[in-house]
Amino acid sequence: MAMREIIRLENIEKKYSTGSTEVKALSDVSFTVNEGEYIAIMGQSGSGKSTLMNILGCLDRPTGGKYMLDGEDVSSYRDDRLSWLRNKKIGFVFQSFNLISRTSALKNVELPMIYAKVPASARRKKALELLDKVGLSQRSSHMPNELSGGQRQRVAIARALANDPPLILADEPTGNLDTASSVEIMELFTKLNEDGATVIVVTHEDDIAAFTKRVLRFRDGRLINDTGECEK
Amino acid sequence: MLFIENVKLAFSAIGINKMRSFLTMLGIIIGISAVIAIVSIGDTMRGVIADQFAGIGVGRIYTYIQASDGVADENSLFSKNDIDNIRTVFSKDIEYISGAGSQSGTAIKGRNSVSINLTPVQGNYTRVQPVKISGGRMINQKDFESSKNNIVLDENTAEKLFKSKNVSGKTIRLSYNGKNGAEITDFTVVGTFENNKSVLEKLLAGKGPETAYIPESLVFTPDSSAFSLDIFISKNADSKQFKKSFINYISRTKNQTAKNIVYESAESEMKSADSIMQKLSLAVGAIAAISLLVGGIGIMNIMLVSVTERTREIGIRKALGARTADILIQFLTEAALISAAGGIIGTAIGIGVVAIGGRILNIKVIINPVMVITAVCFSAAVGIFFGLFPARKAAMKDPIEALRYE
Repeated sequence: MAMREIIRLENIEKKYSTGSTEVKALSDVSFTVNEGEYIAIMGQSGSGKSTLMNILGCLDRPTGGKYMLDGEDVSSYRDDRLSWLRNKKIGFVFQSFNLISRTSALKNVELPMIYAKVPASARRKKALELLDKVGLSQRSSHMPNELSGGQRQRVAIARALANDPPLILADEPTGNLDTASSVEIMELFTKLNEDGATVIVVTHEDDIAAFTKRVLRFRDGRLINDTGECEK
Repeated sequence: MLFIENVKLAFSAIGINKMRSFLTMLGIIIGISAVIAIVSIGDTMRGVIADQFAGIGVGRIYTYIQASDGVADENSLFSKNDIDNIRTVFSKDIEYISGAGSQSGTAIKGRNSVSINLTPVQGNYTRVQPVKISGGRMINQKDFESSKNNIVLDENTAEKLFKSKNVSGKTIRLSYNGKNGAEITDFTVVGTFENNKSVLEKLLAGKGPETAYIPESLVFTPDSSAFSLDIFISKNADSKQFKKSFINYISRTKNQTAKNIVYESAESEMKSADSIMQKLSLAVGAIAAISLLVGGIGIMNIMLVSVTERTREIGIRKALGARTADILIQFLTEAALISAAGGIIGTAIGIGVVAIGGRILNIKVIINPVMVITAVCFSAAVGIFFGLFPARKAAMKDPIEALRYE
């Protein structure tokens, strides 16, 4: 069975120029991710994993190479087109949750659907379903500051699923959580993956990476190890 | 993103910082209420002036001949015959014409005396000039024809002389210039009229002696000659055309050049008073509008603070798919809503102040709905204009930087 290719990176390069000095954050990164994969991106700080995360998440553009997302070459897309891609193709989960404060859990989950121009009633229905899916149906009207860290992250995950994106991108999703909550969140990702979602988790912790099926290890802006390479 | 979503969002953002939003609005509230109040006061004054002239009669004309050598002679004075001729020639346009000007006199009752402004009238005077009779009657055609010593006083004068308003049939002595020169004669009071002016009208009209009416035939006879003419033209008359043919006629019959004929119409006086008033209220309104500018700058200031505070929110929204335009419109909507709300509150306060003032001063207040709509739209425009810079700043934020902002 031919797997759908969600991500294809070809010789991705990212350079930052600060004054006269040029820093290479990523060089010659190539890999592909198929639909339904569960991947950890690992590396020390400064290894380029955050830069990679930004490029994968269409928040940033590579300075070289080619990035195919769900069959489209997005390497040179303009800002508004990238906004559209983030909205439709990517579900973000951040380390610091990044829920909008003083806005209910329900409204937070609805947010990506507002930008996707989903009608209000359908939006509400979907948001309630998603909160139920992450086990927070009783908390829909709570404000983020009334929720625990683990609960906030689950709201964020519900939000990430709002527009049924082909890719879930989680940046250190357990970085601000205690061990018990971390395990809960990772189990939730595992369950989502079992249900067919493609999940990429950026982390520096081995026990978090252990939940995934494939680990991409980075050092000094280069991909140094890919446990899934053999599957290709 | 849908417009309605933006409005909801703006409302919740305003609601989160109620105190701050209110203080931001304050500039606009003060500006708009000042503009509305000032323009309404101006319009009201214009209305009062118009009423004042309606009282005098818009169609009223005062005319006389300025003798070129400074000596009044038969060519610069109007005889009874001249007046009759004018009345006949312009019978279509002239409603009322009199050569007997007002004079000052003194009404005396016992030890009380009051200065009054005597207006000699013909029997049909009320056809051109409303007089609010409160007791008895006005001077009529019979009084005029029989030259009876009858007088109509205003209520205040009656009160001063008799300590009563009900004075019909009573007698006073009147010192005035009759047809044979100065005299003191008994007069019968046949009626009184009401003369309640508002504070503002009194202010504009000044405080002179009150008017009293006597039959014109008492002071003006076929032998008299008039220095000036008091003419009322009918409502249907073309005032411009009348002026032209009237001056033409007088210069022909009295052998005068047109520039010697002084012709003052209440209509043109009113127009000039009205235009002065209008310019004045516009000028003061424009000064008040400067406070709107200050209010707008206040909005810009707070929006800039708000954009900085909400950098992270902007980052989140962008990460979740908000385009530059979505963020721009979100913040613009918020700014416009704050200032439009300020505009509406300011309008309510402005109208309220003017309405209460009008009630206290007993004046019919004029509030122009077009101005109110303009003021609210203008305040929203101020919000959009001054919100544009902060909103642009928000919209242009780099999502990665914004997400990292603590």
